Formats: sequence, structure tokens, C-alpha cells
Amino acid sequence: MSVHKDILPPELIKDRGSLHPINHMKDSIMNLLASFGFEITDGPEIETEKFNFDMLNIKKSHPARQMHDTFYVENKLNLLRTHTSPVQIRGMLEKKPPLAFISGGKVYRKDDDATHLPMFHQVEGIYLDENVNFAQLKDLIYKIIYSLFGEDVKLRFRPSYFPFTEPSAEVDILSKEGKWLEILGCGLVNPIVLDNCNINSSKYSGLAFGLGIERIAMLKHGVTDIREFYKSNLDFLRQFK
Amino acid sequence: MKIAYSHLVQHIEENPSIEHLSDNLFQLGHEHEIEDGIFDMEFTPNRGDCLSINGLLRDLAVFYSVNLNQEIHNQKLNELLIDFENLSNDVCPQISFLKIEIDKVPAAYKSSLDNYFSDLALNKNNFFTDISNYLSYETGQPTHCYDAKKISGKLVFHEIERETEFETLLDKKITLMHKDAVFSINNEVINLAGVIGGKRTACSSDTKTVIVECAFFQPEAIIGKSLKYDLHSEASHKFERGVDPDCHDRVLRRFIKIVSEHANIKDMSIISYTYKDRPVNKIPVNVNKVNQILGINISEDDYLMHISRLGFDINKGVIEVPSFRSDVKTQNDLSEEVARVIGYDNIPRAMIDIPKNEKPNNKDIENKLRFFLLDNGFYEVINSPFVGSNSDKSIKVDNPLDSNREYLRTNITNSLLDNLVFNERRQKDSIKLFEISDIYTSKNNEIKKIRRLSIIASGRVGHNHEDFSKKINKKYLTKIFYEALPSEKFDFQLLARDTLNTKSKNEIIGCEVDMDSFSSEVLNYKETSKSPDNFNQYTTISDLPYSKRDLSFSIKDFTKCKSLQDCIFNYEDDLLKEVFIFDYFYNEKNSEIKIGFRFIFQSTNITITETQVSNVMNSIINETQKIKSISIPGLNLL
Repeated sequence: MSVHKDILPPELIKDRGSLHPINHMKDSIMNLLASFGFEITDGPEIETEKFNFDMLNIKKSHPARQMHDTFYVENKLNLLRTHTSPVQIRGMLEKKPPLAFISGGKVYRKDDDATHLPMFHQVEGIYLDENVNFAQLKDLIYKIIYSLFGEDVKLRFRPSYFPFTEPSAEVDILSKEGKWLEILGCGLVNPIVLDNCNINSSKYSGLAFGLGIERIAMLKHGVTDIREFYKSNLDFLRQFK
Repeated sequence: MKIAYSHLVQHIEENPSIEHLSDNLFQLGHEHEIEDGIFDMEFTPNRGDCLSINGLLRDLAVFYSVNLNQEIHNQKLNELLIDFENLSNDVCPQISFLKIEIDKVPAAYKSSLDNYFSDLALNKNNFFTDISNYLSYETGQPTHCYDAKKISGKLVFHEIERETEFETLLDKKITLMHKDAVFSINNEVINLAGVIGGKRTACSSDTKTVIVECAFFQPEAIIGKSLKYDLHSEASHKFERGVDPDCHDRVLRRFIKIVSEHANIKDMSIISYTYKDRPVNKIPVNVNKVNQILGINISEDDYLMHISRLGFDINKGVIEVPSFRSDVKTQNDLSEEVARVIGYDNIPRAMIDIPKNEKPNNKDIENKLRFFLLDNGFYEVINSPFVGSNSDKSIKVDNPLDSNREYLRTNITNSLLDNLVFNERRQKDSIKLFEISDIYTSKNNEIKKIRRLSIIASGRVGHNHEDFSKKINKKYLTKIFYEALPSEKFDFQLLARDTLNTKSKNEIIGCEVDMDSFSSEVLNYKETSKSPDNFNQYTTISDLPYSKRDLSFSIKDFTKCKSLQDCIFNYEDDLLKEVFIFDYFYNEKNSEIKIGFRFIFQSTNITITETQVSNVMNSIINETQKIKSISIPGLNLL
């Protein structure tokens, strides 16, 4: 068959899919942290109270442990992890300092409204060594935030409270609209937590931090309703190629 | 908690502006919003001591000269004779009672008390309850007022042993549960301790003799009670976070003082019970440790000055923690105090150097598979694990959000089928989805975790002119997966549509595979898709109906093919959502090329009309007709 020299068939544009924007964001952050030296680890989503609360210095009376905040399963034998921190506990029990690892994944809390979902994603990291201090934590957080939002972004550290870190801080960035937006929580690992994991807290200290993936993805992509991420609407997903 | 700027600033010598005060509150970690001179404070749960004017002033004393010496009644008081028994002194290790009789209930309040209600737009109740509420605001210590005339018999504090009916002073009837801490008289509950008083002994506008209860309850005994019984209670909010166990005498003497400013006191007496001594928490002075924790270099003098201004006593090399700071126990806690005073933002960064990690990422195979699926037009989704139906291996959620989310899913495919139906209802004609997730099952109380990949596809193979008329089927999927990943098993199956509420007749093909079953051969796959370099800005999607139009062009001068495509693909209109070539045919015999374009119209805010679509289509046609030797067969018939 002779083919005319001017015939140029239309380009065959192959339909490509896309990563889910939450997984893409999670992977981006994990890869960034891995490039800083953190090892990637994993843990179960179904946890015990011991790992999810007790070992993290979250007292029996803490409101987060109530049935209205935490999903319990199997007649309260276990629970759906409320944060990825239990992975840090498992890691500290398995390994000896110095250690640096991150974990990311699904976590569950008993919320369901326009700004909160019963399932969402976190990335958490921990670094233990001798003489790890708050000034170093600040340096790490600056590096993370600058990598995510550019070096022009303004950020501030605020005192906060987490039972598993002391001192604790929350970090905000200044939006283009001039509003401070909370981005992550961090702090120095509470020596009680180190002791719980049989790590000598008079010799070692550590830093820990945690980021909510949905919140960062919403900011980076300009998504205003968190529920859009989980409708599996192709019109939504195809925007993130 | 709402606190008026004017109520704070009257105790601060420097008379700071609201903005100055706000900045310092933020530095101390006390988040807030300001509206009409009122701070709407949000305290962290460890800082129950700040839930009052005095509490906040104690923290602000590190920046300002603060006067906390509100007047109190400082004369000797008679001992109150009260028939009281504490059967649960673990829950209530300290409690005091004050009895006051006045000659007449005042008709109006002095401005110092009245301003509390007017500035914060609060309703008044009755004289004694109003003072109690004000004192809670001023000192942080909730007190409860019983009408003394309604108290007869032995007052007992105890934890109840069986379900008991109780009517609150807000007329709400609740059934108290086992172990709730209460005050009772003659086996009748008159007060749910630390939460809300009872109707029967409540004060009224006529009450002239009151018994004021001032207690310390262990937070653990109070937590969750107001939520459990759906009671809004500021007292429980404070008791849950911990109150100052050593403030009772001062608070009750302040109560007397305020009463005396409004009425003649005919009689008053007081009694305090302490069942357990509270040891003072002592921490050695160790500025080196603080410097080591924070990575700073503060002098011991500065350190001790900051700490003492926050109310800590320093005695012979030891820091004594005040009774209102039950949250401070360790050097790390003291370091946080110093950091707050210095300002977290004023602590300089110190370079961190984490040793490089050489361990491989154990998700490499999973990531390869994800990109292989992207290359073939599949979209990654994430679904909630909560489902309404169960199998014998399902894990049951003890406290589900609702009955439709009572179990954890035992497969991913059913979630993908829901996603498919969702998209078919939005007129999507080519649907390819995948999800990788951990699946949890339970057998004989043993929980098993399996990581799985589920794939589902239905409709057209694709939207380009070669794929548009082909439908996805088992043979097609098996072929493309085998060609790319010959060593892996994908057992594609035709999935039933019977139970799906959908009009589409397209075959649904899917498979679900354990991630463990994949071999390292997957790593040899060379993907062409990449992770996006940027984070695309999202454009609001529309749930309004689509409208589609097809146009077929006949081209005799083949050099014009490109011009036609450029003309159409560059055409812009707000209603035109998508354009693609769905048909292309070269007819050698007639020396003609035919190209079919599909135009998809949709608005983000209106349901588009035929006329609107036709207007855009006519405009596109007019543009294309400017290109010579291109025609639209049948155009004259339109």
C-alpha cells in the first residue's frame, strides 16, 4: 500500500492514569525525608492500647482514649491507630540509637465533617542520638517546610502540648492571604517515652515530628473540601497527572 | 474560654495594648482569636491552670508587672459544723465548705461584679451562683452553691454503685452510671461531682443562706462525664484539666469578700478536709541540662529569673513547683517554660546532620506496579475501610460512626465497584481504577494483615482514535498485563453487574492480588509515567450534566490535517471541557482523510442549554471552514 507523503495521522495520545494526590504527597514527603537520612518503616493500622497510648505517655484518662475519639475493634481488644506514632515505639523497641526513621500511612479518628474524616494520612519521623536538641529540631523543620513551600515562606513555632514530646511545638506558615496555617506538630521526645522503650534517657535524646498529609495536599493543590480526595471522581483524579 | 481584655489589663501595671498582650499570649503558647475586646482562648489540655483571669496573669507576669492581690476576707472564721462523710477520698482528696447567711439579696451588683456579666454577655442566675461563676472566671476554681435550707441530713461524697436517676439544676433528667462520683443526702443524689449540681438543692433568687462547696477532684474521675451526659459544664472543663488543690481557703475568703460588698453577712463559718497531703514537686536547678535540651546558652541567673516570675520558688538549688502547675515534673518541662519565655522563634537553629540511610525502600515493587498501571490509564484511588456488610472474617468496629460503617472491609474490589458506579453515573465511558491497601481480617481472635492490589476496568479502552471503539474485556486486560509483566499472575475475572444500580452494560473486569505474590521481576518493567514534578492547582469540578457533540471532517489536502487539529485544540471556551479525536480514517481509494472530533461541554455553575452548546459549535465550525479543502459532510443539513 502506498502512503501519501503528506499523511500525518493525529498523534496517538495514550490515556495515562494518575497517582492519588494524597499518596503522591505522602511519597514526596517520605522521599524528601529519606534524602535527609531517615529510614522508611511501616507498622500495622490495627494497634493495641499499649502501643497507641500507654507507651506514648498518653494517660488512661486522656480524652483521646474515649470511645468518642478512638475506634475500638474486637470488643476493645484492639483499636485503629489514631496516629502513626506507634510505629516509632515499635522501632525504638527493635533498634538501638542512634536511629532515624519515618513512617507514613492511614490513621483513624472518630470524626466526620467537612474538615475532618474518620480516615486520614500522617507522616511521622523520629531521630534519636546523644545530645539531640530543640535548636536542631528547628533546623530540620525549616528544611522540611522550605522544601515543601519554598524558602520565601514565613513560618513560626508555637508552644503546644503532646504527651509524647516535651517541649512540644506546632508550626504555622503564613498564607498568601496573610493567615497563619498550622502545618505540623513536633517536639523533643519525652524522656518518659524513651524510658518506656528501654532507651537510656540520660544518655540519648530525640526529636519527633508529624505532618497531616491531607492538610498539606489541600494547601499545595488548592483543594478546599477534604472529602473531594476520597470520592474517586475521575474528573478530580485526572487533574493530578 | 472567653476572657475580656479589660479584665486582664486592669491588673497589669504597664497597661499594654490588646495587640501587645495578644503577641505575648501567642509566645506563651496560648492561642486565641480576638473579637470586640474579648480573647477567645484555646488552651492546651495540660494548662488547666490558665483557665481564669488569675491563671493567665500568672503566665503574663513573666512579661509584665502584674497585681494579683484581689481583696479577700482575712479575719478569723468560725468552724462550720456540717454532717459530711467522704467515702471516696481518692477521688476527692481535698474539700472545703463555707456557710454564709445574708440579711437581704441585693437588687443590683457593684460594677466589679456586674462588668463580668455585661462584658462577656452572660446571663445572671441568682446572687450566690453569680458570685460562684465569677470566682471560677477570676480564680479558676469552680465552686458549687447549695441552698442551705434544702440541705438536711448527712451529706455524703461517694461513687455510686448502680444506675441512679438525677435531675440537674438545668431541669435535665439523666441516669447516672456505676462509679460516677456524686454528693448525696439520704441516698438521693444532689450533685454530679465536678460537673453540675442538682435541681432539688439549687439556689434561687430568694436564697439567703448558702453552703459553698469548694473541692479538688481527680481529673480522671471527671473526664468524659459532661460529654457522656451531654451537659455543657465549665466546671467539668476545669476539673478535667486539673485545678489548684491548694487554693480553697483563698477562694472561699474571696467569696466572702464579694458577698460582703453586696450584702450584710449575718453569719458565716468554714471547714476544710484534707485526706492526703500533696507533696511539693521539686526539681534540681540544672541550667546546663536546660541549655542542652534547648540548644541555647542561657545563664543560670536569667534562667532562675524567668522561672521565678512564672511562680516557681527556688530554694537551696531546688526548684519548687507551685501547686497550680501539676504539669511540670521534669527538666524537659522546665526547659519548655524557658523556651516559652524566650520565645520559640527566638531560639536559633543549629545544623542537624543525620547520617545517610543506605537501606533500600521495601516498597519498590509496589511503586513499579503503580507506574505500570498509570502507563495503562489506571487511576489510583483510596477508599475508606469502613463497610456495612460483613463476612465471617470481618473485624467489627465496637463504636462505628453508623451502621453502614460497622465493619472493616475484607476486600478492595467492592470499594472499586462503588467507585465505578459513581463515575458511570457521571457519564464516564472509560473507567480504570486501582487501589493498594492493607486488608485486615480476624479468625479466632487472631488478626491477619494482607497488603493487596485491586484493579478494575470497564468501558472504552481509551479515547484516542485507535482505542475509542474498543471495549475493555478480559482478553484485552490479560494481554496487556502479560506482555508487560509476563512472570506475574493477574487472574482477571468478569465481575457481575447484577447488584449494581447502573444502566451501563459494559463488562466489568477486575482482579485482586496479594502484594506478596509479586516477584522481583516486576522491577524490570520500564515505566514511561513519572511522578508529577509539580503540585497542580485544582480546578473545581462540576457535578452538572455533560453535553457532547461530534464533528467529522473530510480532508482532501492532507497538508491541512495539522491546521485543523491546531484550530480545534486551540479553541477556548469556558463551557468546552474536553476535545479529543475519536476517529481517523485514511481512504486511499477516494484520496480522503476523515477525522472525527468529540467535544464535551460542561459548566461548573449552570446546567448548559442546547442553544449554548450550538453557539460554541457554530463558532468552531466557522473557524474550521476558514481552512481550505476541509469540509464537514452533511453540514448543509444541519
